[in-house]
Amino acid sequence: MASERVQVEGHIIDSLTLAKVLDTILSAGCDYVIEEVTIGRSADDMSRALVEIQAPDDVVLESLLSELQVHGANRTSTVDATLVTADTDGVLPDGFYSTTNLPTAVRIDGHWVPVATPEMDCGVAVDRGDDTASARTVPMHRVEAGDRIVVGHEGVRVTVPARVGGPGSQFEFMNSDVSSEKPKARLVADVAARIRAAKEAGERVLLVAGPALIHTGTGPHLAALVRGGWIDVLFAGNGFATHDIESNVLGTSLGVSLELGSGVEHGHSNHLRVINEVRRQGSIAAAVESGYISGGVMYECVKAGVPFVLGGSVRDDGPLPDVHTDVVKAADTMRANLDGVGVALMLATTLHAIATGNLLSATVQTFCVDINQAVVTKLADRGSHQALGIVTDVGLFVEELRQQLVPA
Amino acid sequence: MTQLTWGRRYLMCPPVHFSVLYEINSWMHTAVPVDPEAARAQWEGLVATLESAGAVVERLDPVAGLPDLVFTANAGLVDGSRFVASAFRHPQRQGETAIDTAWFAAHGYDIVSLPAGVVHEGAGDALPFAGVLVSGYRTRSDAAAGTALSRLIGAPVRTVELVDPRYYHLDLTFCPLDERRAILNPAGWDRYGCTVMESLVAEPLVLEAEEAELFCANSVVIGTTIVMPACPPRVGRILEGWGFDVIVAAVPEFLKAGGGCRCLTLALDVTLGHAGPSPSSPSAPPGSVAARG
Repeated sequence: MASERVQVEGHIIDSLTLAKVLDTILSAGCDYVIEEVTIGRSADDMSRALVEIQAPDDVVLESLLSELQVHGANRTSTVDATLVTADTDGVLPDGFYSTTNLPTAVRIDGHWVPVATPEMDCGVAVDRGDDTASARTVPMHRVEAGDRIVVGHEGVRVTVPARVGGPGSQFEFMNSDVSSEKPKARLVADVAARIRAAKEAGERVLLVAGPALIHTGTGPHLAALVRGGWIDVLFAGNGFATHDIESNVLGTSLGVSLELGSGVEHGHSNHLRVINEVRRQGSIAAAVESGYISGGVMYECVKAGVPFVLGGSVRDDGPLPDVHTDVVKAADTMRANLDGVGVALMLATTLHAIATGNLLSATVQTFCVDINQAVVTKLADRGSHQALGIVTDVGLFVEELRQQLVPA
Repeated sequence: MTQLTWGRRYLMCPPVHFSVLYEINSWMHTAVPVDPEAARAQWEGLVATLESAGAVVERLDPVAGLPDLVFTANAGLVDGSRFVASAFRHPQRQGETAIDTAWFAAHGYDIVSLPAGVVHEGAGDALPFAGVLVSGYRTRSDAAAGTALSRLIGAPVRTVELVDPRYYHLDLTFCPLDERRAILNPAGWDRYGCTVMESLVAEPLVLEAEEAELFCANSVVIGTTIVMPACPPRVGRILEGWGFDVIVAAVPEFLKAGGGCRCLTLALDVTLGHAGPSPSSPSAPPGSVAARG
């Protein structure tokens, strides 16, 4: 894909120039987004439109731009991005361009080069071949001395993707950022439809899960979703995995019997005994293989080959041998598992939702489900504006989602 | 009929050095010689016709090496006391700008230039009609010039794309007759231009293909008199039915260079936007021709 932004100004409505420019773009097999349009109020006033063109490649784009120039539509940016060489590993040059999670392009040698894997709070590194250039986001700690890094804002532009809840979409009714007073059945049905659409489009579905899911007895429904092939990658922490295993090996979650809903004798140490045993066996996969773990979300992930990334924290017990205790490595491993993710489901987790939100491109449709509205708000406050919040009991939500996707 | 409030004073340049020395439009063929005597006689005939219709003709001194200086319509745009000098597309004609500008400066006009890099060939590609300035583009003028002109003159501009190389200037496709009527040659425009012009002109006289080829649209209107390079019977009947007197002033030598009666004249009494009246024309009608407010 190649893109460019053009501006056309004058009496472009009455002269049908805008219509002609837009028709010309479509006739060339390209697409456009009108980013801004100011229409004159009287016949004397001039109008102005800013149009983003998306072309299949540079050749088509250049030919279209020459034609559009004839009609008075000229490209708006003529300045390349400024590049500075990083002189120290792990340190970005002064004045580095700090990324958003929006699709971003940088102008190199007069061409707009898309930045691979949009992610917020990173730098942009430009790699040049003989005649080609590519750009990628680079987290601070992964900068290497010698990397060519974009500084300043010149020659950088971002595109705001259409919102899931935008007009005409199936989520049109979800026109508020956080939805607590909406018909839940309809919300769940629409999330299910979006997941189906993503799978049909060959996209992957990411589940970010908090331990409350297990405490509330939702584990079996989640396991059914994994078994049904609806989840392609799982991000969680030590707690979620531990309680999932505890509930399947000992029937409790944090010592509380999931069947009786009351604490069992010496139950407070159940999760430690489970962690201890998995540590003895070396990994969750080994514990599944040996038969120690015979069901649950982690079991289904191992059986179905669904990758999971467990990020550690200071207060973790154990932790389980699969937990990444180096948080930087944990985040890098999460990054490495985001390829092709089109939908992210963040269920009853604050820290892992925000951590994941930091890594996701704004083009990933993100649903954040929590009983606490603050979680959803916090996610948006940290830049994941694409997240649609659903304030509800996560147990009921997942059960209903399972019924939609894996009917009994 | 509400007559045009402009078209009674013209700048013309005697064809002393007129010839076809290069080919920058599809009518020009250097192999086809121009008869200088015939050209001179036709030009004098046109001047006499215009004067007999009540027009005043001012003269621009010819310059050797600038054969197309005779086509004064392309010198620029007059807007009251201002002169917007042309910026020519072809290097062969770029030398004309200094000569045209000198004449207007000497006659008390404020000289206004288009932004650098923007090409526009004056009244050949821009004609006022019903409150707007219609500006042709692609062949000789840039679309961007429309925006620049609108800023300069403070009046709305309709840009119309010229798509037929035979009709390389707007004045080969469009001739305003009064505030409602105009001669149109839609063959010269793209479909958007046709739509724009259809909605602009209340009572159009649409030329047939063979009529357009006779340069019917390249005519000069002085009140109710139309001076045409040729007038096919159908066109004449319609114009007379509308109350115009048609006078044919044949200029075949100039057609060899792609120019007719209009191309040989530049109206000096045009007020496009909010500019004051022409400096050398105290009798020019007050108010604005083109601006609708």
